[in-house]
Amino acid sequence: MTTASAPAAQQTGRRKSTGALLVHQVRYEQLSFWRNPQSAFFTFAFPVIFFVILGAVFRTGNVYDHISGIEYYTPTITALSVIGCCYSQLAISLSLRRQTGILKRLRATPAPAWLIFGGIVIHCIILSLIDTVLIVIMSRVYGHAFPSNWGAILITLLIAAAAFCAIGVAVASLIKNADAAPAVVQFIFFPLLFISGSYFHIASKVINNIAGVFPIKPFNDALIQTFTLGKGIDGHAILVMAAWGVGGALVAIRRFRWDPRPE
Amino acid sequence: MSVVEIDDLQKSYGSKKAVRGVSLTVEEGQIFALLGPNGAGKTTTLEILEGFRQRDAGRVSVLGFDPADRRGGREMREQIGLVLQDIAVEPYLTVRETVARNAGYYPAARDIDEVIALVGMSGKEKEKVKDLSGGQKRRLDLALGIIGNPRLLFLDEPTTGFDPSARRSAWELVRELTRLGTTILLTTHYMDEAQALADEVAVIAAGEIVARGTPETLGGRDTAKARVRFALPEGHSADELPVAVSPDGEEMVTVEADDPTEVLHQLTGWALGNNTTLPRLIVDRPSLEDVYIRLTGEGADAPQAERSMT
Repeated sequence: MTTASAPAAQQTGRRKSTGALLVHQVRYEQLSFWRNPQSAFFTFAFPVIFFVILGAVFRTGNVYDHISGIEYYTPTITALSVIGCCYSQLAISLSLRRQTGILKRLRATPAPAWLIFGGIVIHCIILSLIDTVLIVIMSRVYGHAFPSNWGAILITLLIAAAAFCAIGVAVASLIKNADAAPAVVQFIFFPLLFISGSYFHIASKVINNIAGVFPIKPFNDALIQTFTLGKGIDGHAILVMAAWGVGGALVAIRRFRWDPRPE
Repeated sequence: MSVVEIDDLQKSYGSKKAVRGVSLTVEEGQIFALLGPNGAGKTTTLEILEGFRQRDAGRVSVLGFDPADRRGGREMREQIGLVLQDIAVEPYLTVRETVARNAGYYPAARDIDEVIALVGMSGKEKEKVKDLSGGQKRRLDLALGIIGNPRLLFLDEPTTGFDPSARRSAWELVRELTRLGTTILLTTHYMDEAQALADEVAVIAAGEIVARGTPETLGGRDTAKARVRFALPEGHSADELPVAVSPDGEEMVTVEADDPTEVLHQLTGWALGNNTTLPRLIVDRPSLEDVYIRLTGEGADAPQAERSMT
């Protein structure tokens, strides 16, 4: 232990600007994420590898209405990767951080809640965008042309990412025990992926109507429309996702806890 | 100026009363120790001051802020530092990154490398948190507590689990921080820690403050009767002694006196006159530990103290 020189009584200095604080927060979120080999592989590399395999097997086959395998899986696996980054990874890491007391430790600093959540959401959006770019590049390698309407794709991705982040925080608010988090998160997520057509096209009208109420199928639809059919924004799909996002945010605001042992 | 003011603080968990009517004041520049057994209400009191728990009743002021009011939370937290009992830092960041990250949240943070040196972690800057030992993690946590250059620092059982030399270094650091102008409120269940560090001590048991004072005067230590203890010399009975004694286990006897000089003179005179000695002769006053055990009812009333655990 050595001697300190800074006199504690003097409180000089100014608060950082909102932008500088967010950059600071996102930087450390990114560092924590990439250093953890497990999270970097499962949430990040996994969808890309999955796409490479699906693309290799089903590239040229007709899925429906003259849409080829690669045309189908480019949007759905992009959606899968965004959901993985924004919902699964977020819900699991948040409940783990709460259980280990990291959130409480963070709450003990002057960092406001908007900074902590803003940092997480921006971090997840960055991961989603990198995954999307990688999948689009692999899709090009398999012979599918680059999409032309990037504006519509970007808006769809941002709204979906924000909505799935909100749902992720809501689920993390409801999970009591972090050991159960991966199971709970997958339990909600996995059946929905199937009925939403993420892995294969669903022709059944009944199933499509059911899946359409939940946020994953609208996300798939919106990306198929923009990526594959080259059309604009799917307004209906955006509305459904936004509604889920708002619902998730409301649950998160009411129920989110920082303390591993609440009163 | 008082930095912390608590008046008639109440807190229950369900039907369990964790804190019942605690009042205390911590003055600027003090080291104040809240001393008590596990479950006495120390951490609950501290967590109410830190804004982690809501009180049921009473008035609380920390640097002029009400910690229950989140609106002033950011401003209050810019001026306080916390070292919690749980070790909780991102496992994949390095020591320096962890400190630098928290430094970014404060308007007037201390120098990062200086704080790392202050807690004795120089040379470990590039190590990942997950590779640190338990003691090193706690020292890192201490670094996070002081990185914001706080006016007031809360330490919740800061040296639990430390080895003796790490404890001494931690004490030295606490004294150093006080010299630099930081007020410190700590909880501990170690008597020697309170004795070594605190300007003022409050003993809390079953949610109530049962004594307060300086470590020297606590529980009437300074005015307590002196105890003269010795073993009965062989071949003599207690009746032969010139003063009345009471048996004290293991063949020892005790005489209590306001001033032991007279009693000692009579006893040693008697021993020399009888050509004998007073084996294992001791003169002492109650230690802080004796006072603490009497006040907190540990020992005889241990089960009751257990029941009030929170």
